[in-house]
Amino acid sequence: MTNLITPITNSKIFNNHLKRVINDDAFAAKTIVVCSVLKDVFAYSVRYETTMNNKKIPEKRRPFVAAMDLASGVVTAIAQISVGFAIASPKVQNKLWNAIFKDAQFKNIAMAKKSFATILALIGSGVITERILVPLLATPLAAMVEKKFFKKDGSAHSNPQLNQNTHKSKKSMNIDTFIFTSDVKY
Amino acid sequence: MRISQIRFNQKMANSLEKFSSQGGEKIANYINAGGKFAIAPLVIMYNPFTKESKENKKWAAIKQPVEAVITIAAQIASLGLLFKGIDKLAAKGKIKFKLVEEAKKTGVFPESVINAVKGDKTKAVDELNKVCLDVFKDRIGTLLTIALYVPILAISNRVFPKVADLLVKDNDND
Repeated sequence: MTNLITPITNSKIFNNHLKRVINDDAFAAKTIVVCSVLKDVFAYSVRYETTMNNKKIPEKRRPFVAAMDLASGVVTAIAQISVGFAIASPKVQNKLWNAIFKDAQFKNIAMAKKSFATILALIGSGVITERILVPLLATPLAAMVEKKFFKKDGSAHSNPQLNQNTHKSKKSMNIDTFIFTSDVKY
Repeated sequence: MRISQIRFNQKMANSLEKFSSQGGEKIANYINAGGKFAIAPLVIMYNPFTKESKENKKWAAIKQPVEAVITIAAQIASLGLLFKGIDKLAAKGKIKFKLVEEAKKTGVFPESVINAVKGDKTKAVDELNKVCLDVFKDRIGTLLTIALYVPILAISNRVFPKVADLLVKDNDND
């Protein structure tokens, strides 16, 4: 075990990373946001793979459902990084810190400031963006994609497979398909 | 009014210090699970752009807290074991950081570390070592969390339909 750890703890890259995390609160918060986004990207990739191999989803629907998984993963990642990085910026941090903790006493103010930046960046990117903004935007976005790429010649020749995978179909899709497509947004 | 505001701020400050002692990776997991548990089901149920049946929405909504509970339980258990193992190795002196070794030689420490030990350089080595170890645990923890997603998603895909079946009277599953 030590043989695996020592090359990391002695490496120049990791020690430079340590220096920046210790000295720069914004960088520390941004790193945690990136780590959180990496987890999401991995989870979306797993969903893409499992969707493509899931025989419970009809074969003609599979590529679209999987493509939406992948596209949503990319959109979520970009949105989370943008919001997380903006919140982690020193300007925003200083304003919020002064507004909330101006008169408060801390045992270790440096550690508290670092954690505050991290927690706010995570709430902004992982809760507000990922759980509220992206799901709300995903549905009209899917409808726009449907209109642009699959309904060029009017509603009479619209793509039936897509209609079953967006929220514009007259009849609700069955539960299995809905659960799989719902993963796209959550 | 002003005093109660200061008290509230101080309570927030104490909570922040308590929470921050958990480390970045654990905090990220708590926030992620909290959002999935409490916010995601509400957004699914009350999304004004979705024209799904109520039953479909309920099924998708139930998936979120089920997955959140399974995820956070697996993460707390596995990260706890991993961090305990790393702490044991560190206590035996088997984990050494180049940054700490250099600081020992030069006597130069990052400002935040000096502030944390209130200028007492005899404590600075231990403090710097602790900070480095926490960052190391966070990064290794992220890798473990990523690796855990495969079994976690597999388990939740098996568990949540059973929970949803119990909670939702399904009239729209054709």
